[in-house]
Amino acid sequence: MEELKKLAKELLENKTVAAVIGYQQVDDKRTKPIIVTTPEDASKLVFNEYCLNNLAVYLTKARIKNLAKQNGTTLKLGIVAKPCDIHAIVALIQESQLKREDVYIIGMNCHGVVKDYGMDFSGETLATKCTPCDSHKPLYSDSNLGEVKDTPKVSDEVLEKIQAVEKMSHKERFEYFKKEFDKCIKCYACRAACPLCYCQRCITDKTVPRWVESSPHSRGNFSWNVVRAFHLSGRCIGCGECERACPMDIPLSLLNRRMTETAKQAFAYVSGRSLDTPTLVGSYDVKDSDELFM
Amino acid sequence: MDEKIISKQNLVNFCKDIVANGHNLLAPGKTEYNLIQDPSEIVLDTKSKPTKASYKTFVFPKAEPILYYKRGKNDVVMLDAKVDEKKTVIFGAKPCDTNSFNILNKIFNWDYKDDFYNERVKNFIVIGLMCEYSDRYCFCTSVGSSPVSEKGSDLFLVPIDENNYAVRIVTDKGKEFIGAYSKYFTEGAPEKSKAAEEKVKQPEVAFDSKQVHEWLGKNFEHPKWDGVGDLCLSCAQCAFVCPVCHCFDLVDEDYSYTEGRRMKNWDGCQFGHFTLHASGHNPRDIQGKRYRQRINHKFKYYVDKFDEILCTGCGRCSRGCAVSIDIKEIVANCTD
Repeated sequence: MEELKKLAKELLENKTVAAVIGYQQVDDKRTKPIIVTTPEDASKLVFNEYCLNNLAVYLTKARIKNLAKQNGTTLKLGIVAKPCDIHAIVALIQESQLKREDVYIIGMNCHGVVKDYGMDFSGETLATKCTPCDSHKPLYSDSNLGEVKDTPKVSDEVLEKIQAVEKMSHKERFEYFKKEFDKCIKCYACRAACPLCYCQRCITDKTVPRWVESSPHSRGNFSWNVVRAFHLSGRCIGCGECERACPMDIPLSLLNRRMTETAKQAFAYVSGRSLDTPTLVGSYDVKDSDELFM
Repeated sequence: MDEKIISKQNLVNFCKDIVANGHNLLAPGKTEYNLIQDPSEIVLDTKSKPTKASYKTFVFPKAEPILYYKRGKNDVVMLDAKVDEKKTVIFGAKPCDTNSFNILNKIFNWDYKDDFYNERVKNFIVIGLMCEYSDRYCFCTSVGSSPVSEKGSDLFLVPIDENNYAVRIVTDKGKEFIGAYSKYFTEGAPEKSKAAEEKVKQPEVAFDSKQVHEWLGKNFEHPKWDGVGDLCLSCAQCAFVCPVCHCFDLVDEDYSYTEGRRMKNWDGCQFGHFTLHASGHNPRDIQGKRYRQRINHKFKYYVDKFDEILCTGCGRCSRGCAVSIDIKEIVANCTD
């Protein structure tokens, strides 16, 4: 990854960017996020199958945004991004949370990442979000780096699970999700890890009036998880960070992926794929079918 | 300390009897400690990875009603919430989990005695199991514990050969509990369990908690807090999987206009609104201050107040952190 280190160093030296949000190696099968602000530290940057985080989550954080403001001018924020992470950046731009010129995208070619740290990279350990992925090269980037390799071919586990859940009766499906949501402890790691959960004040934190019960019991957990799934419908870009962050192993990708498929089928829309398209909700047309809502 | 031996088969029988006697039986699964119906499903493995969530929810539930209320025409009637008095046996807990009650007992019996917590702990039997798992996040030996520590266990299991476990009787509560199941136990051979114990690889000591305590006292303002804070995403994964984090929020929930209940729910100090005042002022307005609080509470304030580190070294918070913030590494760097 010498080209990545070199590029980041140059960008920081010539003040194109104020910082590079990237990955740093922890051990041979583990990385962690790093915010590089000096050319010297650019040598810490890496990119490999262990770069699990979707770093786009940092782009909307106030203190990170402030890093870009230097001596009266605003520099760009550099970000090392996988093609799927770039979908999140595009969605943030579509939703006016970010301007294209605010960010310098170091787009990495990607052939998939592992499910979890410490695993050897193979078809078996390929993250479930990577199996249906068709974005191995960045759609948008300011620099495009990395080798293009084949992604191991494995079956689409999440889709199979969705199909199994769809075959259930309403009652069975309710019981299935009740059992899963009952595990929820409302740590909101899903929300925190999600690049598109950028609300300054989440509806669940509002107390006057309280819209979503804060208690992590069945009812409160249903409220939260369903509200979040709704709020991400047609917006989720499928990075799977919510599910990875969940300490209770709740299969959140079932919900999000299902909603993504619905948006795709009903409106031929997939979030974060085009800077020239308005968002799904933003492009409402009176002629749109009501079937999905009624 | 008295010691007995139990065969693997009898351990299953022992567990079956516990269930048959109407007690709750808990054993570690992958994500959390599960309520066991069929004890033959229990896999006792000293090398297993710690569950993602600790078992604190069984004594300090993630959500529990503490009172019920009814509105009358001119008054409000309050009804006490009762704690289920069923005995709960936790089976095969790791030493980094078992020590949690010793630590939590201090806060829940400080100025106010928390009946809900105390009642549950009273009905709890902790059967610990020696641990042979260790990864980069483990640091029990840095906080005064070890993979063979009996602290917090009523009974402690040490595998002595392929088919047998030594059972150390650590507390009177443990002794009394196994009294009813004595047919499954034979006389112990402490030299065997001692030998098994000595073979356990201990995680390297990562820091000196006394030095950390001293450093924290001098470095309330330090650039490192903002460094971690900028990476931390402000969720409560770390606090909620922690066996000893104990902050909670009180919320009134109305079922209807006339009835409702008061809930005690887990809360986490890394949430931005945790310290948000009604005035709009927030003393911990940025994540760096909140992370500083987390470390200080665990390694300084709790030590000052209760002479106990608010951490068992299980490493769950780091293992589960979405952005790989490693508490062991951070605390080990709390030095000049």
